[in-house]
Amino acid sequence: MAVCSKCAAQLETPLACGACGSLFAPDPEPTPFECLGLTPDFDVDAAEVRRRLLRASRLVHPDFHGASGEQSRAAAERATAALNRAHALVLDPAARADWLVRSLGGPSESQVRSMPQDFLMEVMEWNEALDAARGSAPGSAARVGLEALEASLAERRASVLREVRRLLVPLPAREAPALALARAQLNALRYLANALDQLEALRLDSPSPR
Amino acid sequence: MGFIELNVLNNASSNVALGIDLGTTNSLGAMWKDGRPIVLHPEGSCGYVPSALHFSEQGAVIVGREARELALVDPAHTLFSIKRFMGRGLKDVENDARSVPCPLSETANGVVQFEMRGRKYTPQELSALILMKVKDQACKALGGLEVTKVVVTVPAYFDDAQRQATRDAARIAGLDVLRIVNEPTAASLAYGLDQRKRGTVAVYDLGGGTFDVSILSIEEGVFQVLATNGDTHLGGDDFDRTLVEIARKELAALMRPSALEDRAFLQLLRLAAERCKIELSTDPEAYMHVSLPESGVQWRRKFTRHEYDALTAHLIERTLHSCRRALADAKLAPEQIDEVVLVGGSTRMPSVRSRVEKFFGRKPHCELNPDEVVALGAAVQAHVLMGGTREVLLMDVTPLSLGIETMGGAVSKIIQRNSTIPCQATEGFTTYVDGQNGIDFHVVQGERELATDCRSLGRFKLKGIPALPAGMPRVAVRFHIDANGLLTVTAKEESTGTSARIEIQPMNGLSDGEIESMLNSAYRNAREDFDARRAADLRIEIGTMARATERGLSQAGPALDRETRRDVEDALGAARRSAADARLDAVALQKHRDELERATLPLAALLMDHVAKAALSGKRLDEV
Repeated sequence: MAVCSKCAAQLETPLACGACGSLFAPDPEPTPFECLGLTPDFDVDAAEVRRRLLRASRLVHPDFHGASGEQSRAAAERATAALNRAHALVLDPAARADWLVRSLGGPSESQVRSMPQDFLMEVMEWNEALDAARGSAPGSAARVGLEALEASLAERRASVLREVRRLLVPLPAREAPALALARAQLNALRYLANALDQLEALRLDSPSPR
Repeated sequence: MGFIELNVLNNASSNVALGIDLGTTNSLGAMWKDGRPIVLHPEGSCGYVPSALHFSEQGAVIVGREARELALVDPAHTLFSIKRFMGRGLKDVENDARSVPCPLSETANGVVQFEMRGRKYTPQELSALILMKVKDQACKALGGLEVTKVVVTVPAYFDDAQRQATRDAARIAGLDVLRIVNEPTAASLAYGLDQRKRGTVAVYDLGGGTFDVSILSIEEGVFQVLATNGDTHLGGDDFDRTLVEIARKELAALMRPSALEDRAFLQLLRLAAERCKIELSTDPEAYMHVSLPESGVQWRRKFTRHEYDALTAHLIERTLHSCRRALADAKLAPEQIDEVVLVGGSTRMPSVRSRVEKFFGRKPHCELNPDEVVALGAAVQAHVLMGGTREVLLMDVTPLSLGIETMGGAVSKIIQRNSTIPCQATEGFTTYVDGQNGIDFHVVQGERELATDCRSLGRFKLKGIPALPAGMPRVAVRFHIDANGLLTVTAKEESTGTSARIEIQPMNGLSDGEIESMLNSAYRNAREDFDARRAADLRIEIGTMARATERGLSQAGPALDRETRRDVEDALGAARRSAADARLDAVALQKHRDELERATLPLAALLMDHVAKAALSGKRLDEV
């Protein structure tokens, strides 16, 4: 773990020093895991991530640099933006896995476009169901069926994430074949997330009376 | 509330910051004092400043309570609900424009302008006048302490253009904006501090012109907004409008069609509707009155609460729809909300309370005055920003996704809605033609898939890209949404390290030059307003002095020598005439006042002498 260049205290985040309160603007910008003082890993402890976010936020948040000059306010803005991005990414399993695959030299989504084989058929099936529901009135059979579809997609999403975890824990070596397999699973995850978003939009447009 | 005692010497104004709730209907200032936020208002006046402006025949702009009262006698020259026009273009405000009693136009950058008494005013300038009034009231309450640092609140669902407009208004008012804070978040600060809450909280904020709902998680001083949703064109004004529409329909039989469209008449209807609505919050039925003596129209219509609730049910349904969306984004069900807080004057409507209670399945909190809670929260945030405490950590979100228009007119999202702010994203751009030295892109805010359906934040032009073969330049454009929810865009060409220049054509916004000139004219206006007040005071003072002089002359006049007596009479006549002459300014009036004072000195001395002699001879003063 790095130490503070001003007071030599141990740093919990490269963005600021908890002991002397100095703000840093490291260049290049630290990785999401570095911002939170964590070692890259697919398994994260959400409560610990939140604790670290809050501790670091109390050092770098612009609210606590409001009375200081323009320069330190700008540094606080940058550091907090980096921290918030890190927090969002590390807590989102899909974003986290995507970052890990990239950082280990694995393929990007434009390099590996494939998905697990059985998946394409499923995508076509649920797209049909979505199209039918979109064209029909709230309360119709096509819409009622969406609830079951949503549940099965959520289950599917969980199983894809389990597979991603199997591939990424423990972290594979750089450019290992497991990274391309994980990428294919992440592609499937994107489709699932998109379909779940559309289902939610449909559900919100035809709210159940409360 | 009385004057607040502050040791002005020990409390230099630089250590004090106000929280200001700049509302659609009312505005209010508050400040941190002795461990809690308090509302600021001078003794004898009630707290808030109505967000109303009256344009007098002499060209002065009167703000606040007086303006609101003048609306009754001169609705054609009084403006309300300016907030609904902030950061908006003409085509966005068609609905609201109908209740504006004056012509509207638009600047080159799409900023609405109100034409009153031969002058054009932008919503930013008018909001600046309201902010100045709130600040003046607060400063008076602080015993004349001058404060320039402020935290100003905005609806959480305000987009970049609306936030920018609010900040510009404060700049025009000569204020230093420490932070733009979201209203529901501010409200949660006021509540959270009071009650040391912990858990998930839904803040339902229905104001005069806007609706917000924010879902927060609160624990140990951390106020984290999980999701926010709303409608910046839904509020008490819309409830009034349903009654106005009924009145218009029923009055159609009694009036000429052109009279029904008269803007001043519509303003009158709006005020009548508002009164009726407010009565219905406490009474089961109320009357709406319209009286137009000059056209012989006397109209009275009874509304029962039942009828009113049915007429406005769709508006409340719209707010609940926003609640559903916010909950979905926060990934929570209504049952998982521990506390519901009501904010904004429109939550006084019983139908709003009961439907919100039913929706969340729990009784909402309304212990704090819904009209004050936002200003109080802003004062808490001002205290934090002045370095007062690190106990409170506020983590707010950006309400709308930020995107760039792609080739086909679709939107590529670069920052998702409900991302914690400050946040940033970097997007790479390159050239399509050899030697191309500029790149244009269009930034939008909103959730729709097509750029034309989203709110345009402006067209950005990257310039100064080094001449390279097509596709070679790598321009990294950084989009940063700061803690105010305001966007800044910077760019750097990575292969050569040169920073690209960005020119922005803001949409519905003011340029720096425009703000500068408005700032100057605001100072000029403030000066003129000050002079006008001073002149009015002097006229009153001259009147009082003249009456006293006359009394003195009748008592002691005979004892004065003739020359002195003529001198007094000349000065008295001149002062009298000056007080009656509307063309004279404060400087001229002051001269006449001083002249009268000088001329009457011998008379005053004589009177004192009389009084003294009378006292010595045992007579009472009133017997002299």
